[in-house]
Amino acid sequence: MIIRWVCEKCDKKWIYPVEKCIFCKGNITKQKGTKIKVVGMTKVNIPSPMHPITPYNILLLQDEFGNRIPKKTMKEYKIEDIYVEERAKTKNAVAVIKIKYDIYEAIKYSLELIGGMNFDKKDRILIKPSAVAAAYPYQAVNTNPKFIDALLDILEEKGVKKENILVAEQALIGSDASDAASKAGILEICKKHGVGFADISKGPFEEIESDGITLKIFKEALHRKIINVPVMKTNFQLGISGAVENLSRLVDESTQRKMYFEGVDNSLPNLVKLLKDVLTIADGTNGMQGQGPLALGEPAFLNLVLTSNNAANLDVVFCETTMLPIPSHVANSGDKVELKNIEVVGNDLDALKYPIKQPSSNETPHSDIKVIDFKACPKCLNMLYNLSSKLVGLRGREIEVVMGSMFSADELKGKERIVLLGSCAIRRSEELKMGPVAKIGEDIGDVEQLVLLKKLLTTEGTPKITNVDKVKSKITKLFSKVAK
Amino acid sequence: MHIKGVGMTKFSTEENNSTHIIYESAMEALDDSGLSMNEIDAVVLSNNDIISNGERQRHSASLLSSLFQKKMPIIAVPAGCAGGGTALWAAVRLQKSKNYNNLLVIGFEKMVSNLSKRVTDEMLMGTERIYEQNEGMNFPAENALVAQQYMMKCGATSDDLALVALKNHQNAYKNPKARFYRKKVSIDEIKNSPMVASPLRLFDCSIPANGAASLVLSNDKTDVEIVASTQESDYLAPFERDDLTSWYASRKAAEEAYSQAQITPNDIDIAELHDAFTSVELISYEDLGFCRTGEGKELIRKGYTNFDGKLPVNVSGGLKAKGHPISATGISQVYELVKQMRNQAGERQVDNVKYGLAQNIGGAGSTVTVHILKKV
Repeated sequence: MIIRWVCEKCDKKWIYPVEKCIFCKGNITKQKGTKIKVVGMTKVNIPSPMHPITPYNILLLQDEFGNRIPKKTMKEYKIEDIYVEERAKTKNAVAVIKIKYDIYEAIKYSLELIGGMNFDKKDRILIKPSAVAAAYPYQAVNTNPKFIDALLDILEEKGVKKENILVAEQALIGSDASDAASKAGILEICKKHGVGFADISKGPFEEIESDGITLKIFKEALHRKIINVPVMKTNFQLGISGAVENLSRLVDESTQRKMYFEGVDNSLPNLVKLLKDVLTIADGTNGMQGQGPLALGEPAFLNLVLTSNNAANLDVVFCETTMLPIPSHVANSGDKVELKNIEVVGNDLDALKYPIKQPSSNETPHSDIKVIDFKACPKCLNMLYNLSSKLVGLRGREIEVVMGSMFSADELKGKERIVLLGSCAIRRSEELKMGPVAKIGEDIGDVEQLVLLKKLLTTEGTPKITNVDKVKSKITKLFSKVAK
Repeated sequence: MHIKGVGMTKFSTEENNSTHIIYESAMEALDDSGLSMNEIDAVVLSNNDIISNGERQRHSASLLSSLFQKKMPIIAVPAGCAGGGTALWAAVRLQKSKNYNNLLVIGFEKMVSNLSKRVTDEMLMGTERIYEQNEGMNFPAENALVAQQYMMKCGATSDDLALVALKNHQNAYKNPKARFYRKKVSIDEIKNSPMVASPLRLFDCSIPANGAASLVLSNDKTDVEIVASTQESDYLAPFERDDLTSWYASRKAAEEAYSQAQITPNDIDIAELHDAFTSVELISYEDLGFCRTGEGKELIRKGYTNFDGKLPVNVSGGLKAKGHPISATGISQVYELVKQMRNQAGERQVDNVKYGLAQNIGGAGSTVTVHILKKV
């Protein structure tokens, strides 16, 4: 589809969405060309960072109104060929669409390609965005509010009543969902559309048994059709935070901890299998690369919408476009979750591929502080990242911070400068009757944690928090409260 | 308005700081004009914020104040590849409105200092962000699509493009400031060079270079007068325009320039055109009125624009073979015209140059300046 914004009065035409004609002040309508043919083509042989795979073709496409756009593809065409983007033939297909300045049109078109939304007007719908921590939309930590806005517009057009729509999210353990949704701009969008927002952590939950494990799942998620709206991000622990990972916050905090404790590679797929009728419309407007999924990651400017009735398939297609490895929690979330088994519609997938910055599982912002992750929950990992980022520039002797509980004594044998961080790792070391080892517990304040980490980095032995440190911590907290 | 002095560095891949090349070209222009920095009233400069060159130097206006150790009005006028021409166009108007006596105009660029793919990416930023960059539309690709439409419409061939490349390389051979100075290039090398973006081959593309060019504009009468100075713009992306094969901004800027100079295209003795791609030179023949629409190919086939032809085009070697340090290009075109008018062009000297035309283009016909100089 080729879109132009045209003045109803004077016929001026724009390739950008404008709301009023700057000449005659007339209203603007969208001109959508659907009969598209190839009028030009070039084969490009020189790579650039965002287009590293060569050769590729750029088609010059023209619609029935004479409007033109360029289109990158790896497929071969001839001038005068008709250009068609096929509709999906299979239920679990993934549509991947480039956004041409208009998120609403991109979402709508991606839904068309996979056969539309399987919803009835009377259906009760749960929209599950990503709102994991208080961050501005440009940081790509949370789902872009404009994305939610466009989705709500589409649902309203379909006749879904606003009282039947609920937007619900649970922030990362230790963060507040309302704070996150507020700073992300999602609460404001909910208010604009008159739909409710629920903090999942407050429940209620229903207990469901699966493979011998009891999961406490948000009740609304079990009794509504779910539209999963993740922002597509890298994740230093899981590889990616995408469609599958976004569903992990539909369970209560204790279940989440249990899932990480037992290994998300299997526990998360188990949860996904329990959730029926999940449509994923993924926000790749910016997306995140590098040390995601929080503020240490950076916007990737992907400019994509990915849509599918199969969350795992969608994640695989995302990994393919960004050239990231497919994480185990995604691969295990269904049978034969491999690209070769997935029907992809919309943009030519090969033409989208470019490598975004990968996350590193053992790196922290501080080059002398390394991570050994034994299935820690995101809370501890984020704690370490925040602490280590504050010590950048302070050189010391390398330390390895052990987190999570899935380790044996043998796995730490021979490692000299180990620090245990978080209650899981400390508890496990006690079970293993490990000798004296440095510890940073969750029971002390963040200032004290920082002081301790600093001492561990720069001194020998197992330093402890002094009374002076405790007083400093209290004063800092007090100032922080006053400032707020 | 008159030109009192010109200067330029060699266009090359030499790894000098921007400050070095700016200073060198400005010094040459001042020496040529017989002035010192004391007598310069203001500076208009053009440059792109190229990140890949490692300098990370923005706010070039004040940079020049430090470099020249002088506090005076300095403005920066970036306009992509048309930066040099646009700086001159702005300087002409500034001089008139403020009545400055002597004004220094500088274009500079340090662009060849990183991997080719980084430089390609840097240039890619001059195209439309979502519709073009996102679709891999770098400048060769953008111009390839235009060239293809042009060739289909006008019957021009790849052989015609090769003739343009050959001519400009032959000219650069004689220009000590050209990147391809004393480097022979054969027609076979051109025709068999790798395909960059079909139908454009490597030798259809201009060559990146580092360099700077400067000129001194003056109210004092000199032997070279600027008799026309025009600038026009068109939509950023060629696909958005009604006609891809004829560039409105070029046509309009030329039409107005001939009117200002009170001459016709037939009066032009020599032209420096913006041959960022060989196809652009053919299109420009038509847009500037040197021939009728669709007849550009005939000019090159008949040798009309060769060094010994009726209208020598790009005797400096053009962007194709002299080199294309983006913002320096427009000023370097004027440098060549001035050298020709003063009979200082050495072995590439064209006889009896009275009127010279410089056409500088940003993007694929998005911003165009035309300057006509007259030997007084």
